Amino acid sequence: MSEERKVLLEVRKLKKIFPIKRNVQLKALNDVSFKIYEGEKFGVVGESGCGKSTLGRVLLQLHKQTSGSTVYHGKSVEDVNPAYMNKEIKNLTIYQKKARDFYQASLKIDREVDNLLLQRESIDVLGSENDTKRYDQLSRKIDKLQYDSKELRKNASRQLREGSRTIGSLILSSHLEEIQKQYAEAQKISEKVHQLLKERKALDAKTQKKWIESEKNIDDRVKLNEAEQLKQKLSRLDAKLDEYRVQVKTIKKQTYQNYKGKDYLPITEQTLDPKYQQKLDANYETGLNLAKLSSSEIKPIRREMQMIFQDPAASLDPRQSIGSAIEEVFKINTKYSKEVRQEKTIALLEKVGLKAEYYDTYPHALSGGQKQRVGIARAIALNTNFVVLDEAVSALDVSVQAQILQLLNKLSDEFKLTYFFITHDLGVVKHFCDRILVMYLGSACELADSKTLFNEPLHPYTQSLLEAVPRPRIQGEIKRDTIQGEVPSPINQPKGCPFHTRCKFAMDVCKTEKPVYHEAKPNHFVACHLFEENVKA
Amino acid sequence: MAKVLDINQLVTHFTIAGKSYPVIRDLSFYVNQGETVCIVGESGCGKSVTTLAIMDLLPNNGEVVSGSIKLNEIELTKLNKKERNAFRGRDMGMIFQEPMTALNPLLTIGYQLTENIMLHRKVDKKNATKIAIHYLNVVGISNPTERLKQYPFQLSGGLRQRVMIAMVISVKPKLLIADEPTTALDVTIQKQVLNLMNKLKKDIDAGILFITHDLGVVAEIADRVIVLYAGRKVEEASVEDLFNNPKHPYTIGLMNAVPNVDSDHFEIKPIPGTFPLLTDDIKGCRFHPRCPYATDRCRNEIPNEVEYDKHHRVACFKVEEEFDHE
Repeated sequence: MSEERKVLLEVRKLKKIFPIKRNVQLKALNDVSFKIYEGEKFGVVGESGCGKSTLGRVLLQLHKQTSGSTVYHGKSVEDVNPAYMNKEIKNLTIYQKKARDFYQASLKIDREVDNLLLQRESIDVLGSENDTKRYDQLSRKIDKLQYDSKELRKNASRQLREGSRTIGSLILSSHLEEIQKQYAEAQKISEKVHQLLKERKALDAKTQKKWIESEKNIDDRVKLNEAEQLKQKLSRLDAKLDEYRVQVKTIKKQTYQNYKGKDYLPITEQTLDPKYQQKLDANYETGLNLAKLSSSEIKPIRREMQMIFQDPAASLDPRQSIGSAIEEVFKINTKYSKEVRQEKTIALLEKVGLKAEYYDTYPHALSGGQKQRVGIARAIALNTNFVVLDEAVSALDVSVQAQILQLLNKLSDEFKLTYFFITHDLGVVKHFCDRILVMYLGSACELADSKTLFNEPLHPYTQSLLEAVPRPRIQGEIKRDTIQGEVPSPINQPKGCPFHTRCKFAMDVCKTEKPVYHEAKPNHFVACHLFEENVKA
Repeated sequence: MAKVLDINQLVTHFTIAGKSYPVIRDLSFYVNQGETVCIVGESGCGKSVTTLAIMDLLPNNGEVVSGSIKLNEIELTKLNKKERNAFRGRDMGMIFQEPMTALNPLLTIGYQLTENIMLHRKVDKKNATKIAIHYLNVVGISNPTERLKQYPFQLSGGLRQRVMIAMVISVKPKLLIADEPTTALDVTIQKQVLNLMNKLKKDIDAGILFITHDLGVVAEIADRVIVLYAGRKVEEASVEDLFNNPKHPYTIGLMNAVPNVDSDHFEIKPIPGTFPLLTDDIKGCRFHPRCPYATDRCRNEIPNEVEYDKHHRVACFKVEEEFDHE
């Protein structure tokens, strides 16, 4: 089912490291990967300090990620026309050349190593006692050279991986310059789309204003005519935009199909391996890489990706009326006139279940739940499609909490919102979210749809978390195991699996090796050595 | 069983902008020795104010207007400031929600623990340290000797709360008041602290008054439960009766609003409306504006508490009428 659904946000090997002092780093996120589908409610649970809030903020690029990629599919590349695309296309040949250079350099070293190995062997066979020193020296040198060669190869594949983000496995092609030309062509049309979109925005505001004016005086034929004309102009512009968008897509698609698998170069030893090529193809980013956008480019995307915070009182200015707080969103982000702004604000207030009379009241007069409604109104004011809710209902009383959850459910149906719901409350997450990610100490433990996660939890941490939830029910004397110990400090993270210090199933391998996050069952991801047999096989 | 705490018809007022508003209205309940009584309710229902009134820690604009608070048969409201001070800490100890604000960040754990023990148990420093180490062991802190030298910021939230518990029980109080002691903790740590408190309950032989808004926590720890709504007790029952047979519409609404972790199907059913403000003037039953069964009688008369089963008391006309029919 989920394969057919459109991915909205894709996160791969996301890492976030906060430098604390010299040589001290706080690894807030370690290689977290997942996909968020359009229109789904994606929940993240974990104890405090597990990195769930950091993850939410990195997704919105409020913190810059250290490494990994965050690809957003909610807006097409040609609409934003980011500067990084041109740069990447220019760099394609450089990536290829560098990869080849690195690999050649490593081959050179390998040859040297071979020679040294021969020398060492001859000492071994012929040498006397005096030669032990020379033997050790050689061994040390061989070790160092072998390490260098390995690093060079890693660098080579890193270059290819960088390139494959823009064009997939075509980075191996011998026709790279032609591909570059085609892509540059596409970029030129992208530029046009970008320009037209700017015009469209101004025109849109003008049309809306005219429309409202004409609605006020229905008899004024001239005004109505003008409004109609503007509307037509707008639709003509839209048609043109669509045409250009299709052009860009076809150029890219055709280029990709024309050159895919054709005349690939043996840049490194793997490059002719179809499996490796597939891997590079999988790296192809069709969406926007948020981390590479400049601050002016990310602004329009921020409008679509919003955040709602835990404490609604802290996110409102006590000296600003509710109406003006919501209206401010339009003031900053749109060119709507005052009347349009006010009308939209009142409509929004009603959408989130507040009376229009609240327009002139100040935050202190509202209850916690009502303040949170204002926060929600602000978040969905623009054409939002992705909302990060950071413990949005945790500060509310249960009866109010249920009201807000109901509202969020209603809004997501109505506006096709995608939620990224951060919470520590397992009861809420179970019934509110479609899929849930469990985090522990900056690493992803388990990801599954909510029913499966609660009925058949695989990871021992998920199990103990579920056991620890106090149930509002009398169930006699059922003794459940309580998880022992506390969460270790993220600065000195335990080696191997982060959970092994508290895990009752901990094995020797858990103390040394970090488990791989993999799909243990269909659509059920887990990072635990207990379920790793399939990976090795 | 002896009643450790016996509260009768307690009324507490707060003065806001020159006007006096009742926060707690006619509250009566008791806590037996070796028993845990939970007070549940939403924020603003007066559960914290109740504890502050017992401890005589009300802010300047709050006062106990009438009613009696008896601790081991001694009437507290008639005592003067100095006499009451002698009870605080010695006979009744309190654990707060946020241990970081309850502990002094500039003093070591050891200093704060032994100071308390020396004051109330009249022992010298050497013996006080021994007692402190004993109680740190009791609350499950490893390396107690090392921990005594540490400052609060060096401990995690769970450990800090354990230190607070050790501090309170080290003087063997008759009454232990815990005001949302696990709300700021993560679930796994919360579970550990709740288990600890359940274990201690048998050992320390004190009455425990436990304040919380989390019905899950109530089910884990309580013997008896009091549900408060807007300053009034709406239901009082043993923990089994409350969860298996809730009677008051507010209690039922509260239980329906909690998402159940174990069931697959759950419909979010909020209680409509909002919690009344302190300054709101509501005639009749305080809950009637949000109650689906409200009648004219509810809008005009205040329901009295009626005892249905043993120790199961409800203040609701609807329940009363249904009971009369049977």
